[in-house]
Amino acid sequence: MPLNEPIAPARKILPIIYVIDTSGSMAYDRIESVNQAMYQTVDVMKDIAHREPNAEIKIGILTFASGAEWRTKDATGKPSLIYMEDFYWNDLEAGGLTDIGDALNELHDKMSRYSFFSDEVGYKMPVIIFLSDGEPTDDWEGALESIRDNNKWFRYSTKICMAVGEDANEDILARIAGRPDGRPNSEAVIKITDTDTLKKLIRVVSATASKIGSVSRTNNDVQESVLTEVKGKMSDELGVTIADQTSDYTDKPEMAVSATSFSDGSDQGWDDDWDD
Amino acid sequence: MKQFRPGKVIQTVKGTPLTIVKYLTEGGQGYIYDIEHEGKHRILKWYKPEKVNKPDKFYQNLNDNARRGSPSDSFLWPITATERTDGSFGYVMELRQDGYHEFTEFLTDCKRIHFNTFKANVEACIRIVSAFQILHHHGYCYQDMNDGNFFINPSSGDVLICDNDNVAPNNKEAFIIGTPRYMAPELVVPAILGPDEEGNERKTKPSTSTDYWSLSVVLFMILCMGHPLEGERWLVPLLTPQNERYLYGSGATFVYDPSDGSNRPNPKVHANVIAFWKPLPPYMKEAFHRAFSKDAIRNPGKRLREIDWLKVLVRFQAEIRRCHNCGGEVFMINAKDTPCDECGKLQRVERKLRFRDYAVTAFKGVRVYRCMLESCNAENALTRVGTIVANPSRPGLYFLNNTDMTLEGRTAKGTVKQIPPNSVVPIKPGITVSAYSGSFTIE
Ligand SMILES: [Zn+2]
Repeated sequence: MPLNEPIAPARKILPIIYVIDTSGSMAYDRIESVNQAMYQTVDVMKDIAHREPNAEIKIGILTFASGAEWRTKDATGKPSLIYMEDFYWNDLEAGGLTDIGDALNELHDKMSRYSFFSDEVGYKMPVIIFLSDGEPTDDWEGALESIRDNNKWFRYSTKICMAVGEDANEDILARIAGRPDGRPNSEAVIKITDTDTLKKLIRVVSATASKIGSVSRTNNDVQESVLTEVKGKMSDELGVTIADQTSDYTDKPEMAVSATSFSDGSDQGWDDDWDD
Repeated sequence: MKQFRPGKVIQTVKGTPLTIVKYLTEGGQGYIYDIEHEGKHRILKWYKPEKVNKPDKFYQNLNDNARRGSPSDSFLWPITATERTDGSFGYVMELRQDGYHEFTEFLTDCKRIHFNTFKANVEACIRIVSAFQILHHHGYCYQDMNDGNFFINPSSGDVLICDNDNVAPNNKEAFIIGTPRYMAPELVVPAILGPDEEGNERKTKPSTSTDYWSLSVVLFMILCMGHPLEGERWLVPLLTPQNERYLYGSGATFVYDPSDGSNRPNPKVHANVIAFWKPLPPYMKEAFHRAFSKDAIRNPGKRLREIDWLKVLVRFQAEIRRCHNCGGEVFMINAKDTPCDECGKLQRVERKLRFRDYAVTAFKGVRVYRCMLESCNAENALTRVGTIVANPSRPGLYFLNNTDMTLEGRTAKGTVKQIPPNSVVPIKPGITVSAYSGSFTIE
């Protein structure tokens, strides 16, 4: 045969970045729920990653308390995204402030062609899963403006925020989850008060986002699709509130062929300039 | 929604209840359960209600399909729909036999799951084309062809097609627009077809001509292990939906488009496609050139149909032989002496079968189909005329009549001999075998 053993066709990389609040208020049962949930989630996602023909999943874990810290690192100890198959979870401990601004600055720094996104094969729109239970203690607003205005990777990311407990600042999370044009998106903030439900939620959001984020999209509907599906799966659970998605997203053929849902493709956007 | 617990009983439209045995997995549209039904282990697909578009019509179509029955054994066809209950509904299908793998696994897990031979690879292509020919012949349109829809046996190339729930009469009802990367460009960006007679944007929906596009994509992916539109242009740092509309819709360009080299495979990233494309016979390359030409992208009527694929695929399969030295496969393109790629041994062409349009090397195992002899419609293309066989007790090769008709053989000297069903003619130069309204000559 004129052919050697086949190799898997090249796939785009789907980055999934967890940004997790490890401030003092997360201590005990909240952080414990996150740890337990992530152990299970990793198994589920390894399975999804193994069978997904459209993308290879890479994971990043960023935590913030008094300052922010990348937990995923390469062999030399530098912050890095890790292939799903090589990823394993290390328990987090909680303590300190809620430096959301530092976390956003770290994202801005690493979400770059010269840092996390250097692979030639290219990337699917990153997924950012942001979890917090409190009020920011630093200049989050300046940091958010900076990353939102200057970082296309962030702007195009699918952002899902989890507001844990009664003290979480949903307005700030809605702004972090904002749409590419900067409008806050309160529909992308999931409110959660029950720590058992939190475990399931982390698993469901992770699995759903990895599936939906992997497949090819020709509509700008990833965030809505993920949230609609998560809402369906969490509908029997207590202590979780997920908004109805009011965007015009729908899977229906009528929508897909309507003049408004597609551009004519002339504004192709093939610019290579992702770090301006 | 909550998963069904083992032991739950659901009534089917057929009247025979099913019992949930266990939850298996989740797909885009629904959940898959192992069930017991009519004393057999079968599969239940249970829909996520939010994922079913036009549920009443969809349910009606599902029932219609189940009632009409499967068009061929290649389809894991709905046996019966369930009653509508628990907020949704589902349907029952047979469990697939062991030895078959989802085509997705060939793409993601190819160290473990790959075709054992290239001949089996081409066989899978022939089976898929043939199954879709039967489906289209029955007036159906598949609507959503993608790598998760068929199961292939990597040794035999046999194919089972599942997810037949979206199958609907052509041009009647569209339940799904398809899976990106497999969808026809006009389903991604209708504007590429230009405005309609009244100057409005066209409405596009799945049809047999969008199925033809998806079929070509699937065949390319099976043969080349990569996507026909994913070349340099796919290598953007961030693939946004806007990029994808261009890549798979408005700017769709075949990676080997002879008139446009802007989207060639990248040697570092698309090594598969480069390696697999190169050895393909010229007539296979030409078929893909036509299937993915700019013309076929913008004019759905110009796409390759089943008969076009069957003609080139059976020829290709007839040209793949085993090296007599090392057992590796050799493509004997255009019946020429060809060295084995693995051991270098030259494979000599001793005898050929000369058909109307081309010749193939005569060696044991070559199959002769009706579409090699004459122009015929797709339904008859794969009618087996004969096979080249060897007899252990006698030297040489023979042509075995596989039809149930008596064929006619004429020697170089003009002697005419009858070839009854199941009997043979020696592969000797000058003999012409006539079947249907065509013939071939041994050289
Ligand atoms: Zn050899």
